[in-house]
Amino acid sequence: MTVTEIGRVSSLVDTEAERAGTTSPASEQRVGLRTTLFAVLRRLAGGVVVLWLTVTAAFVALQLAPGSVVDALLPVEQRTPEAVAALLTEWGLDRPVWEQYLDYLLRLTHGDLGTSYVLHRPVSEVIGTQLGPTVQLALTGLLVALVLAVLLSTVTAGRPRASRIASGVELAVVSIPEFWLGIVLLVVFSFRLGWFPVAGANGLQSLVLPALTLGLGVVGLVSQVLREGVERSLEQPWALSVRARGSSETALRLRHSLRHAALPVTTLLAWLIGGLFGGVIVVEQVFGRPGIGVVALQAAQGRDLPVVLGVALFSAVVYVAVNTLVDLLALVIDPRLRTEARG
Amino acid sequence: MTVSRRTLGLSLLSLAAAVPFAGTLAACSESSEAVPGAPSSGPRSGGTLTWGVETEATTLNPQLNGQDKTKLYLRNAYESLLARKDDGTFVGWLATKWEVSQDQLTYTFTLRDGVKFHDGEALSAATVVTNVTQLQDATYNSSSAAGPLSHVASVKASDDTTVVLVLKDRYAPFLDYIGSLALLSTKSFASSDLKSGGPGVAGTGPFVLASYAKGQQLEFTRFEEYNWAPETRGHQGAAHLEKVIYRFLPESSVRLGALQSQQLQVIEGVPGTLAAQFKDNPQYSYQTSLNTGTPYSLYFNSTVEPTSEQKVREAFRHAVDLDAILTSVYAGQRTRAWSAVSPQDPNFYDKSLEGTYGNDPAKANALLDEAGWTGRDGDGFRTKDGKRLTIVNYQSKPYVRDQRDVLLQAIQAQVKQNAGIDFDVQVVDSGIADQHRAARDYGTWDNSNTNPDGVDIEYHWLLPDHGGFINLSVATDPELVDWLRKAQQTTDVAERAQHYFALQQFVIAEKAYSLPLYEPEDQIAALASVQGVGFRTYHQLPENAYDIWLEE
Repeated sequence: MTVTEIGRVSSLVDTEAERAGTTSPASEQRVGLRTTLFAVLRRLAGGVVVLWLTVTAAFVALQLAPGSVVDALLPVEQRTPEAVAALLTEWGLDRPVWEQYLDYLLRLTHGDLGTSYVLHRPVSEVIGTQLGPTVQLALTGLLVALVLAVLLSTVTAGRPRASRIASGVELAVVSIPEFWLGIVLLVVFSFRLGWFPVAGANGLQSLVLPALTLGLGVVGLVSQVLREGVERSLEQPWALSVRARGSSETALRLRHSLRHAALPVTTLLAWLIGGLFGGVIVVEQVFGRPGIGVVALQAAQGRDLPVVLGVALFSAVVYVAVNTLVDLLALVIDPRLRTEARG
Repeated sequence: MTVSRRTLGLSLLSLAAAVPFAGTLAACSESSEAVPGAPSSGPRSGGTLTWGVETEATTLNPQLNGQDKTKLYLRNAYESLLARKDDGTFVGWLATKWEVSQDQLTYTFTLRDGVKFHDGEALSAATVVTNVTQLQDATYNSSSAAGPLSHVASVKASDDTTVVLVLKDRYAPFLDYIGSLALLSTKSFASSDLKSGGPGVAGTGPFVLASYAKGQQLEFTRFEEYNWAPETRGHQGAAHLEKVIYRFLPESSVRLGALQSQQLQVIEGVPGTLAAQFKDNPQYSYQTSLNTGTPYSLYFNSTVEPTSEQKVREAFRHAVDLDAILTSVYAGQRTRAWSAVSPQDPNFYDKSLEGTYGNDPAKANALLDEAGWTGRDGDGFRTKDGKRLTIVNYQSKPYVRDQRDVLLQAIQAQVKQNAGIDFDVQVVDSGIADQHRAARDYGTWDNSNTNPDGVDIEYHWLLPDHGGFINLSVATDPELVDWLRKAQQTTDVAERAQHYFALQQFVIAEKAYSLPLYEPEDQIAALASVQGVGFRTYHQLPENAYDIWLEE
């Protein structure tokens, strides 16, 4: 769905819902609870299927990829027949592929993600220890993106010149590869001004530049959607009545329009998390930060099958969880959806 | 600070370098004692050093790690029986004496007294035996077991400080292997950290591996009891520094910026185009050293058309003006190679090959005409029987470093212009590259290797299925095997050298099996206040932090 399409759908919902009239708050709450419960259960069942499909797809993809695990693990000058045989036995790669697959699934149900071929550590430990810095980075990046997007869109919406300039800048920033953005921020704020350290995950200071890089990479998209939503809502008949009640323009935008515009953004959020995860890989690499992104990159390059599967599984879990949360969030933001769910 | 050359990709960084922030500059000039190259007093004890490195170890266990670029920090904690001087001779380290029997089958090592591991264990002959027997187990280290240790018939501790190894057959590179094997304490082999390495795996080095934050840094603290440095090192006793931190920064521009803003004190890995910022700059010390092993070279596949024709191989070499290319790609910061051995090698490098081929387009064209590649197609490439003169090179993406893709592209342009050769350079995933290598359907293959002491020569020129793991020319001439076997059977350096010289003449001058390009090197840039940074004797990789100290 393109940005304009999302905007159009949201404005359609707006007009219909504004006409829909009133419902009593009590029944609304009861229905809301039942809908919520049903949604969660359905999501859980669907989630398990999604996880299984993810693991299977990743497994098949890795089997089909050119080259062999042995090639990746043994330097070419060490590839004697004995060394290759020992390696295959060590990792159980001498068994038929379907057996490896079933074995992996079986161990997965016991919570065993296997051991990294390259790092020689349990995959759960590898992901577990690298999770903290990545979550920290992703959430801060998201926060940066959301705060900036809300500011940019509410201030410039409905003001053609400001909105055109802001939109141009946003698109320009979105188009800069995160790698470059990171280097530019480093050069200015770390190398020249010395305000922030270059590397690592030591405290808040070292988080500023990476989070900014990550956030700036997606802020443009969020603010475009948000601005479109705010602009459409400002044109709605109810906006006129809010104004007629004597509300100030700022209050109208913050209290009413933003809420209307937030709905398409929450839908976008699930997609955004995926985008952030892609950005995390680059940002972690540039800033020398620990995290899942670097682990995933190295595992994919080194054909470290258990780690690749582990990261794929982890991403699927996050994706399912975020999607579920987004759906629930939509119900919270927009009472009309709860009404519609009943009808 | 002037920047003479810039590449587009790194111009931003150059910008930052050209305008260093005033604060630190002022601070630097105030401390008048920091006159580079003139250490005022003797080494100062204490302080913390932060070193930005390019490569993070896949495993911190030195017996399992095969990455050259991790040696500079792993060698802080782990040591071996022997060290080597620059001329290649061995000197004692954890062993004070060693002896190779007349028949070259029995190796006897006498261990140094009073050596202790970081976990408190004393070094004894039994420890060494444990290390060797563990490595003979293919489930612990499959390549050692199947490689050098496959020559071992028995290993015994004849008393508390004497280890005796008996070989099944003569194998000259064995002394280098066993002498440079990093030794671990007996307890380490029971550690749950054994395969991944880490603080649970103890060595005897001047620094203790204190902590590891994956993806971020590695911390070492001084081992106060240390007192067994080999004579190749700058001092005796404990290390000068109290603490060393290695930061993993894979992006070279980020490492450089961090050094210039003094967030780091030392870095390794400086791109040739940016070296000018540190060279002849009193704020920094800048050192480079050529690698050992084989140079970065193109190996012509001798089994498929058109590179199976010697005239084509020779023509290719003559069509390239390598000096000009190296100057433009690396700003003159790389050393041209001429032979199958690194010019750094003190014993086996055949200097007489220098200047014997290359940069002769007229000869290249004459050779191709003789070989029947006389037609021309619409793109200006030579043809024979309607087939274009195409030589494909698959570059494996993970191994593209040091602007080697740019280098091959420059060669591509030149051989087209000078001789109408279609040099088709394709950068591909490692899996695809492996497939092509196995199928041997490539024209040339690019490769460099750092194994010293003739081991690299064996890998390149033994038969492909009999030890020639990277015999990328697929050369099967019986002479090669003959020279290599003879060289393997003797520990007399001069005699070995004669065999290796004959081999180099044969593969480079006579058969034109390869086009040596340049000798890879390591670079270290450090703040002027950091003293004692340097390269390891003989092996030439950056040395550990033992001799490093910080000026006040």
